[in-house]
Amino acid sequence: MSLQLSGVGYRYAGAQRPSLLDVDLELPDATVVGLAGASEAGKTTLCLVASGLAPRTVGGRIRGMIRLDGEDVDAWPMHRLAERIGIGFQNPGTQLSQVADTVFEEVAFGPMNVGLARDEIIERTWDALDALRISDLAERDPRRLSGGQQQLVATAGLLAMRPSHLVLDEPTAQLDPAGTRLVADAIARLAAGGASILVAEQKTDLLAAVASRVVVLADGRVALDGPADEVLADPALGELGVAPPSAVRLRSALEAAGLDPAVLGASRDG
Amino acid sequence: MAELAVEGLVHVYREGAVRALDGVDVRIGTGERVALIGQNGSGKTTLVRHLNGLLRPTEGRVTIDGIDAGSMTVAQLAARVGLVFQDPDRQVFSGTVRAEVEFGPRNLGHRGGELAAAVDAALQAVGLAGEERTNPYDLGQSRRKLLALASVLAMRTPVLVLDEPTTGQDARGVERVRAVVASASEEGRTVIAISHDMRFVAEAFDRVVVMRDGRVILDGSPAEVFAPASRETLRSTFLEPPWSATIGDRLGLGSTPTESSVVSALLDRGAAG
Amino acid sequence: MAGSARLIGDPTAGRGIPGVLGRPGPSPFHRLNPLTKATLATVTAVAAVVLGGLIGPAILVAVAVVLPAVAAGVLGRLVRTALLLSLPIAISAFLVNLFFLPGAETVLLRIGPITATAEGLAFALEILARILAISGAITLFYLTTRPADLVVDLERRGISPRIAFVANASVQTVPAMVERAGQITAAQRARGLDTEGSIWRRIRGVVPIVGPVILGSITEVEERTMALEARAFTRPGRRTLLWWPADSAAQALLRWAMLLGLVALIVARIVGVGS
Repeated sequence: MSLQLSGVGYRYAGAQRPSLLDVDLELPDATVVGLAGASEAGKTTLCLVASGLAPRTVGGRIRGMIRLDGEDVDAWPMHRLAERIGIGFQNPGTQLSQVADTVFEEVAFGPMNVGLARDEIIERTWDALDALRISDLAERDPRRLSGGQQQLVATAGLLAMRPSHLVLDEPTAQLDPAGTRLVADAIARLAAGGASILVAEQKTDLLAAVASRVVVLADGRVALDGPADEVLADPALGELGVAPPSAVRLRSALEAAGLDPAVLGASRDG
Repeated sequence: MAELAVEGLVHVYREGAVRALDGVDVRIGTGERVALIGQNGSGKTTLVRHLNGLLRPTEGRVTIDGIDAGSMTVAQLAARVGLVFQDPDRQVFSGTVRAEVEFGPRNLGHRGGELAAAVDAALQAVGLAGEERTNPYDLGQSRRKLLALASVLAMRTPVLVLDEPTTGQDARGVERVRAVVASASEEGRTVIAISHDMRFVAEAFDRVVVMRDGRVILDGSPAEVFAPASRETLRSTFLEPPWSATIGDRLGLGSTPTESSVVSALLDRGAAG
Repeated sequence: MAGSARLIGDPTAGRGIPGVLGRPGPSPFHRLNPLTKATLATVTAVAAVVLGGLIGPAILVAVAVVLPAVAAGVLGRLVRTALLLSLPIAISAFLVNLFFLPGAETVLLRIGPITATAEGLAFALEILARILAISGAITLFYLTTRPADLVVDLERRGISPRIAFVANASVQTVPAMVERAGQITAAQRARGLDTEGSIWRRIRGVVPIVGPVILGSITEVEERTMALEARAFTRPGRRTLLWWPADSAAQALLRWAMLLGLVALIVARIVGVGS
């Protein structure tokens, strides 16, 4: 099941210029695609467009075509898309519904809204909690958890909808190192389990660790698109406002000093 | 221009038995660039809020140039210690970028040419010089964060405290912040920053203070704090040293907190062997 | 056991919902359906107003407020909260009637130009009993019912899930706003905003605080809305509930009985029976 954007352009309501222009992007099954780019390059906008929130909830005008498994989703209402594409945001706190006293109810919120059978909801909720290894948090108050834990709860809430694709907009931006680790590990596990994820991040080290493809946006357009190793080692990254991963930077520094980067050993870890 | 001393600082929040600070002693000299690292809950934020009087000690004291901070109001301390908060949306309220940057220095009594010069310099330093008339909410989130930085820079305080200045910034934004830290320090200002970004910490600061459970557990240069010998201590508080330090350790190069130190160490090794 | 039914999944079929969900209250009174408790509170409050004299409301307070409060173990808190709630009104109503009841003649006490009358005292006590009955009834309901329980019960009976959501969520916004205002104040004070000076200074200090509170709240609402929509919040129609407060035929009967009793009381008053 693939999510395909073809020639997609988007302009926010009342904006002078479009935020996205002529974007082609494919998110196939069982693939993690990393999205990088300077601030204001369009990463968040692309996430909103891919999930359908733009233009449905956010307003604005969209061009081009978005297809889910070959079917044009232009006429789909938001709640229908929400069952197929889950979107997570930076701020852990604002994603909580505020009406759930326990993590279990928080994660079940989506399936409850969809009107599934009670047993189905319970099963999906436990599955989602298990997938992210937070079943032991089921009875805790989500508002009292750390930022990293809240991000996991929010992600579990998306997984409980059993989407075919996950779109994550800078999930670790507001987290401390422990929280970042928690979320990065979870994404890696989901990826290993066959999830299809589009993850926008400034932390290219994280992308290097989990993404198989990387797309770089600049001024609303796709500037680079290819296998993660190649794109993240591309010398153009700097001009595009993206900091290369630590390993790449170090290799460049060694090369610049006339040293052989091979001495660093082969390692994608950042 | 300003020496800071924190002596036996203890802070217990009213609500209960949480000792957010459990006896902190730190001395920071004029012009030093100090990074404060540690997990959320380690006391970093509580500590810096004592520097400008937003919080008052339960025990111990904070002195600035020998004067007890307890004898000054927050408004008075604001002239000596400028604190930039993490979330710009919790302070930005003006209709234009320029007005926002003028707010701080105006409160301190600066006027006329002096005010204009300070504002111009601050806007220049963060790269917002052309956006004076722009509405802050028309700037993206990361540039708004730079605006918040400018608004405190313009106050020209001898001490500058930054809370997570690089969170949410792209590569260029981080460069800007780094440049601001460097030039402030050159002007003789003391810069203290709380950060999660270990690379930024290792490259932009000459001293790193590590906190855990309200106490200082490590205090030294980046080379000392990120040395292989400190690895376990850092791990105990879920921190990892920057990648350069990790790889230097792996290759047996000693303590190499920055990329350039890795390069130097390899060159030395090459020269030696 | 009536009143304690919790719709927990069959443990033999895999995990059910965590036991803490919709956790039953600590006493049988707590465990009554929220609608039953709401009916009791409303009927008590209205009956207190309708009943004439002093004895009626006093008995009502004893039976419909104090007795259940003792059974529920909340008497202490009830007294403190109800008194707190009603003290200002109670004191002023009492004094006004004691001293200024029109047409009263039997003088009890003279303090300067104003006089306390026996009729005034009697009337004042009646008013006091009513105020205590009303505030007691409301407080009893408030202390023994969790807002979530009430909202879920209403939703089960038919109100829109989106309205139920708003009811639940709005309670949360105030503490969040207060916390945000606190952080904003700190940030502005760090920029030299004087929050301790003259009145004029303090008034001028309002904009730098209120501005970000409002702007920030708007941004936050946008983010929250998107997060909700991403979880199918706007899907029309009903949603599935995981748990809801138990109800029973006996309680439904009780509710009708209370309502009919109230109607009978009103009719009796209108017709002139008793006083």
